[in-house]
Amino acid sequence: MFVHRSMTPRVITIGKEASLLEAKDLMRNKNIRHLPVVDEQQKLIGIITDRDIRGAMPLENVRLPDFCKKMEVASQLKVGDVMTPDPITIGPHDTIEDALLMFEQKKVGAFPVIDAEGRLKGIISVRDILRAFTNVLGIGQPGTLLCILVEEKVGQLKKIVDAITEEGISFGSVLVARYWDENKRAVFPYLLTNNVVRVKQKLKALGFELLDPMEWYIDQLPRHERDG
Amino acid sequence: MKRTGYLYDLRYLLHDTGPYHPECAERLQAIHRGIETGGLLPLVKEISAVKADMRWIEAVHEPGYIRRFEELCLSGHRTFDFPDNQMCPETYEIAFLAAGGVIEAVRRVMAGEIDNAFCVVRPPGHHAEVNQAMGFCYFNNIAIAARYLQEEWGVARIGIFDFDVHHGNGTQHVFEQDPTVFYYSCHEHPTFAFPGTGRSFEKGVGPGLGTTRNWPVLPGQGDDEYRKLIETDLWPAFDAFKPEVVLVSCGFDAHEEDDMSDIRLTTAGYSYVMEQIVAIAEKYAGGRIVSVLEGGYCLARLPELARNHVQILLGKDIPA
Repeated sequence: MFVHRSMTPRVITIGKEASLLEAKDLMRNKNIRHLPVVDEQQKLIGIITDRDIRGAMPLENVRLPDFCKKMEVASQLKVGDVMTPDPITIGPHDTIEDALLMFEQKKVGAFPVIDAEGRLKGIISVRDILRAFTNVLGIGQPGTLLCILVEEKVGQLKKIVDAITEEGISFGSVLVARYWDENKRAVFPYLLTNNVVRVKQKLKALGFELLDPMEWYIDQLPRHERDG
Repeated sequence: MKRTGYLYDLRYLLHDTGPYHPECAERLQAIHRGIETGGLLPLVKEISAVKADMRWIEAVHEPGYIRRFEELCLSGHRTFDFPDNQMCPETYEIAFLAAGGVIEAVRRVMAGEIDNAFCVVRPPGHHAEVNQAMGFCYFNNIAIAARYLQEEWGVARIGIFDFDVHHGNGTQHVFEQDPTVFYYSCHEHPTFAFPGTGRSFEKGVGPGLGTTRNWPVLPGQGDDEYRKLIETDLWPAFDAFKPEVVLVSCGFDAHEEDDMSDIRLTTAGYSYVMEQIVAIAEKYAGGRIVSVLEGGYCLARLPELARNHVQILLGKDIPA
């Protein structure tokens, strides 16, 4: 669950003296949107994004009478002029949950990963986190998702796991989510099988409620609660 | 009345999936009972299973996979790749009979001996990948039939319509780069149902981009949604593609009483779907349809669903 396992280790960087056009070409050629800016010792000194570049060379310039002059100015800009100095970073031994929460708070698309000495070790983007959680959900493998509503009390999950295990079914993942009713939890077992008829009957016989799929929530907290 | 082939063979019943398995021999018996009691047996051209030539199995599956299947099966393993895939020592042989039976039906249609056919086979096929058994499927019967059509009969455009309630991942993957085979599938939305593929953004790969289409159906939807997808999506797709032969992955598990899914297609809805496929085949493929059984687990409803299916293939002027 550590950042260094999910990050891109061979990170493409640029120096602060490089021109904006160079940075722009590099991003386009490598199909990336974030370039960490490093000094000669590979120490991180900033980050420049495709958005920073767009901001410095706005397309609206085309409509202005002094377009050529503006482009000339823009083409003389250096990475150091528009980069974000001292960007928000993350450590290789921070976890992907840390990264997830930071992405939510900081509203940026990628964090450079630096070690204790400030050396750049990699970069982790929202896309890396998405991939990690796709794997966590297990949805890359063939299977069937159930949604079971349970009372919020100790031992419920064991009963569910036991019932599923008795049917000889393997788990791809199990997700437990909060439900609008505080006293209940929604349990989402992802089962690596096509054959869920009997296990559904069994769970119902044990008194569990199987939620109508159209009422499923993985993300069901009221908005203000999430944002607050 | 059309000359409709009907592939059914008692040997398909010998594929034993063990107790409490939904993909059971009783499914085929229920279907056959529906055809028989519906008085359709004298009207169809009965076809018996034929063992597939290894060449055609290898046209889809890797030789190493076929050997692995043979070894595990004949040495008495009860499952293959996933616990879902229950088998018995006869399963390997019967899988050849299923694929071979479908090839034989296709051969007869292409030779003009019959107009169309319904193949009531086990084990089913559309989940089987090139090198993996999945979702009760071992050999991908419909993909093998399509390869046979391409290589033996030189068919340039094959349309596959898969209305099993689960996405036919195996078939899609075999043809996703092939612009000469159009794979169209409607199925319960993969977030809610096996196998988790068949999302609407899966549209083919490379040269095959555009000849794969998926219409995921949300839980609780039924006849209206199927009508909409056929009218607004399937017809335009096949109008543009103009299939020379139509293959159908026929799953009756979207029926409202089938508890393998949350889709609520009615018996009448199933008839509507099949009538539309027949109309497409009439328009572009000279009526050539080979329908191959995939899923469908509600033993009480299978007889009527299969009877209607064959009646629609037989078409007008069925003697009373």
